[in-house]
Amino acid sequence: MSNEQELKIVFTGPMGAGKTTAIRSISDIPPVSTEVDNTDRAACDKDSTTVALDYGQLALEDGTAVRLYGTPGQERFSFMWEILCAGAIGVVLLIDGSTPTALEDLRSYAQVFHRINPDQPFVIGVGRTSSEDTGLLDRYAQSLAASGIVAPVFDVDVRKREDVLLLIETLLCILETQVPGTEHAVH
Amino acid sequence: MQSTNPRSTAAQEQLAVFVAANPDVTLALVTSSDGFEVAAHPALPVAQRIAAMSSSLQALSEAIAREAGRGRSRNLIIETDNGTILVLGIPNTTPRLSLAVIASGSEVLGRLLWATRNCCVALENNLKSQLK
Repeated sequence: MSNEQELKIVFTGPMGAGKTTAIRSISDIPPVSTEVDNTDRAACDKDSTTVALDYGQLALEDGTAVRLYGTPGQERFSFMWEILCAGAIGVVLLIDGSTPTALEDLRSYAQVFHRINPDQPFVIGVGRTSSEDTGLLDRYAQSLAASGIVAPVFDVDVRKREDVLLLIETLLCILETQVPGTEHAVH
Repeated sequence: MQSTNPRSTAAQEQLAVFVAANPDVTLALVTSSDGFEVAAHPALPVAQRIAAMSSSLQALSEAIAREAGRGRSRNLIIETDNGTILVLGIPNTTPRLSLAVIASGSEVLGRLLWATRNCCVALENNLKSQLK
């Protein structure tokens, strides 16, 4: 793959998982946001929610431009998931590890996005985890594997640029192993 | 699924009046900015999906207006092969509500826009009186 290409990566996950924050943490441009007031406090206690997409850009060291798209998290916006996944080289799935439904969220979102495009590699970022639970990430990976999906799982704080870049870098490494000659350097 | 609270009932009655006066309108619905159906007439199953889609489109139109430095987006107009779809914000509603209208091809755009704007004003007044 030659330099100065464009790649598209999709950030997805349930409402409140940190998709908008993750893109904001690494985008080289002020992100495009479609956040509005959240009226469904029972589903997630946050002021605003994304209803169309987030958009950011990240330049890699070799000149490759990575276009970052965030999806809305709620199932009622699932029509946006397919639209945004078209042409993406991979999916970053973010999960809020502090919610009781975290494992269920992981399985259901991974299955839906795997169905949308079975060839897209996944990377999982689990946020708000308890540092005392050392076996947590293994359980996430095993749960995913039980659904027939193999993906690396990381404990991340999406407010930290280096954590989000690690997810991007891992996704690009998976891509390189799938398609030789697609080396990219993240900075 | 639309709610049965007094605000939704009042909005639904207003939508029924609007649809009756505009025979080319096949669906009119009030939506929350985050994609929930508040009221619809007629009560079609597709209204829930249209509510979510119209909120996405409206948020995108606002993002484009912001990016272009053109102030706030007021109306969203989609002209199709055989119809028109309008999404208009209902003034002075917090959290913001919008009116989405789907009409068949024979409706003249200017007249539909005028009628839909009037419906927004009526909904605003109607919803305001519900809050008193």
